[in-house]
Amino acid sequence: MLSRVAENLYWMARYLERAENTARLINATTQVLLDLPRGAFFGWDVLIRVAGLDNLFHEHYAQADEDNVVNFLVRDESNPSSIVSSLHNARENTRTFREVLPMEIWERINDLHLFIRDNASRATQGRGLRHQVLNGVIERRQSIIGLLMGSMSHDIPYQFLKLGRNVERADMTTRIVDVNSAVQLPADPALTVPALERLWMGTLNAMSAYQMYRRHVGVHVRRKDVVNFLLKDAHFPRTVRHCLDEIEGCLSVLPRHDEAMRASRRAWRRLDGMRLEGLAPVVLHEYMDQIQADLGDVHAALARQYFDLHHAPAMEAGVSQ
Amino acid sequence: MRIELRNYSDNPAYDELVDADGQPRPAARVLFRHIDGLDAGELEARRQAVEAAIMTMGITFTVYSDAGNIDRAWPFDIIPRVIARGEWARIEAGLKQRLTALNLFINDLYNEQRIVRDGVFPLEVLSGSKNFREQCRGITPRFGVWAHICGTDLVRDRDGTVYVLEDNLRVPSGVSYMLENRQLMKRLFPEIFRAISILPVDDYPTQLYDTLAALSPRRDLHPDERPVIAVLTPGIYNSAYFEHSYLAQQMGAFLVEGSDLVVREDDRVYMNTVSGLRRVDVIYRRIDDDFLDPEVFRPESALGVPGLMRAWRAGQVGIANAPGAGVADDKVVYAFVPKIIKYYLGEDPIIPNVPSWLCMYDDEREYVLANLDKLVVKPANESGGYGMLIGPRATQAERDQFAELIRANPRNYMAQPTLSISTAPTLVDGHMEPRHLDLRPFVLQSDQMFVTTGGLTRVAMKAGSLVVNSSQGGGSKDTWIVEAED
Repeated sequence: MLSRVAENLYWMARYLERAENTARLINATTQVLLDLPRGAFFGWDVLIRVAGLDNLFHEHYAQADEDNVVNFLVRDESNPSSIVSSLHNARENTRTFREVLPMEIWERINDLHLFIRDNASRATQGRGLRHQVLNGVIERRQSIIGLLMGSMSHDIPYQFLKLGRNVERADMTTRIVDVNSAVQLPADPALTVPALERLWMGTLNAMSAYQMYRRHVGVHVRRKDVVNFLLKDAHFPRTVRHCLDEIEGCLSVLPRHDEAMRASRRAWRRLDGMRLEGLAPVVLHEYMDQIQADLGDVHAALARQYFDLHHAPAMEAGVSQ
Repeated sequence: MRIELRNYSDNPAYDELVDADGQPRPAARVLFRHIDGLDAGELEARRQAVEAAIMTMGITFTVYSDAGNIDRAWPFDIIPRVIARGEWARIEAGLKQRLTALNLFINDLYNEQRIVRDGVFPLEVLSGSKNFREQCRGITPRFGVWAHICGTDLVRDRDGTVYVLEDNLRVPSGVSYMLENRQLMKRLFPEIFRAISILPVDDYPTQLYDTLAALSPRRDLHPDERPVIAVLTPGIYNSAYFEHSYLAQQMGAFLVEGSDLVVREDDRVYMNTVSGLRRVDVIYRRIDDDFLDPEVFRPESALGVPGLMRAWRAGQVGIANAPGAGVADDKVVYAFVPKIIKYYLGEDPIIPNVPSWLCMYDDEREYVLANLDKLVVKPANESGGYGMLIGPRATQAERDQFAELIRANPRNYMAQPTLSISTAPTLVDGHMEPRHLDLRPFVLQSDQMFVTTGGLTRVAMKAGSLVVNSSQGGGSKDTWIVEAED
């Protein structure tokens, strides 16, 4: 397949995943807010920070309150990672390779794009409407994944879709985990313990992970268990470990995969070696940064090996018929 | 009729579906019986459903402006245009005859030029041709065919005669809309398709694939191997990008941009893939000659592929349409097509040309200049209606200015009478009114020939307008070839 198309497929998958995860991130935060005990404090600016968008945000907004942050993350076109921008980019990307996708996929992506275009303003009119719109995005995105799995040959183009999805998903999982580190709880342990439990339950819910967590880990929602689950569980599809396994699976069927495979294994080993019990929030935050950097290396290796060819057509690439 | 026909009593044009007494023509009777079973509300509901489907299916054309590229939904009228099968058979034969002769003509021009030596085609027309490519002299592509894909514009005049208005031999577009229009109609009116036997149109991508595959330079492929076919597009900002991607998808071909391709020292064309370079056998190019190869044509072109002409001349890649095929896509050459058919095939044209006056001949030019208020004047090498004078609608100042242009460069102009092109009933606010239309069938030629069943009907959505171009308020209709009732 064409390098240019591989790159566009990969980015389309990343943009779609980013849109869905941004919706999940906002839903998770809303949950956190509803469950906070009196005396606890949480600032919406955390979302901007974990998304790595502080500078851009403060160029456009004076105050990081709920309205501004949600507006920025959902519909602000000056934010290239907002849901509206991500879905616009996903659609524009899809236009460049409609011929490799089943026809209905384009229709669904187009439909999702039209949905957010027509409904984004409602997402900033209170939490109830917001929840409806964000869930609309998540559901439509999920139906696209379902259609892809069921109607697209699982050949090389499919691997690039999967790579994009899993790189982005692993990255966003670390960011969602990071949100909770920023909550400042009251000193009274009688309040803190149940509050913490509800906090993490909210996170699990937002990631559609609560039921699986209960089945595999147990009914008690403790921070170390949740973090361990979301990072290291081998089977739940949104964990960092699972995403890395998927990335490795994709790479194993791609040609010339050595460099990217090495980067992916490095990330895997580092994750495996992390001891997550009894971590201070600030250390956990640093761990998340480390995983994000490792995922960045995986991305860079993919770009060098598969995408950058078409930027330098004179390079000595192997000739195959 | 529950859906009312309006403005038909004073319609001066021939109507495709309704006769002079306001009755359905034989081929359209079943359609009208069906429409009679619907009330205005139902029809309107279907129309809205079609619009929603067009949005979801993303059937668009791109209008480029300073504000960025805008995808506009494809304007579509749900009342189909119907043609009787008997009449279509004659048109189909005429289209094949015409393209066969044109390909013999192009091949002759680039080789012996017998037609010039025999005095049938004047040398001055050839030497004045913008689209004659010196770089193509002495080449005979496979099967001697240069124009593999041709979009021929047909119109019907007041007396019911169908004429060829022009031959599009460079990069004709519109076939994807023909295919999508049929998909839309099947989604929206499945019951009509059960009631009427409408000939299918959907084998075009297969036929196009076979036409292209026959051009592959690799003749020794294993039976399991397929030639690698690429559709070469200028990119997403091109107004026909939707079609490029649609056809690539339908054929299972690669959609490539110039930067994806490279020609190496072995004169072969390769594309950059995730596994390295892969050989390309056939290129269906959707960019003009001028931009195809910066080594040979416009050096500043970033859309093309350096070395592509070298690869083609060496027989290492098939290109459709062949570079230089546009020489026959010239309004002045058009006027000679009846003679060209006679010369190469010894036959009279089955579909006539619109009578034309060539300004290069003194007597014909004098006639044109004296009758500018009645004629349509066209420049030889423009397409899409650019640089035309529609005499009856122009001001005196515009006509005077055009007279100067003609005198300065007579070879570049030809003129035709203003035709009263035919109409068909079109849905307007819950009733039907006549709107002008044309028809663009697509003709394929390599080792075999193929004509689409019908083609793309383009319709001027504004009352009285003759402009069917989508960029100027034109839309389209599904085109049905049906058995007529006696």
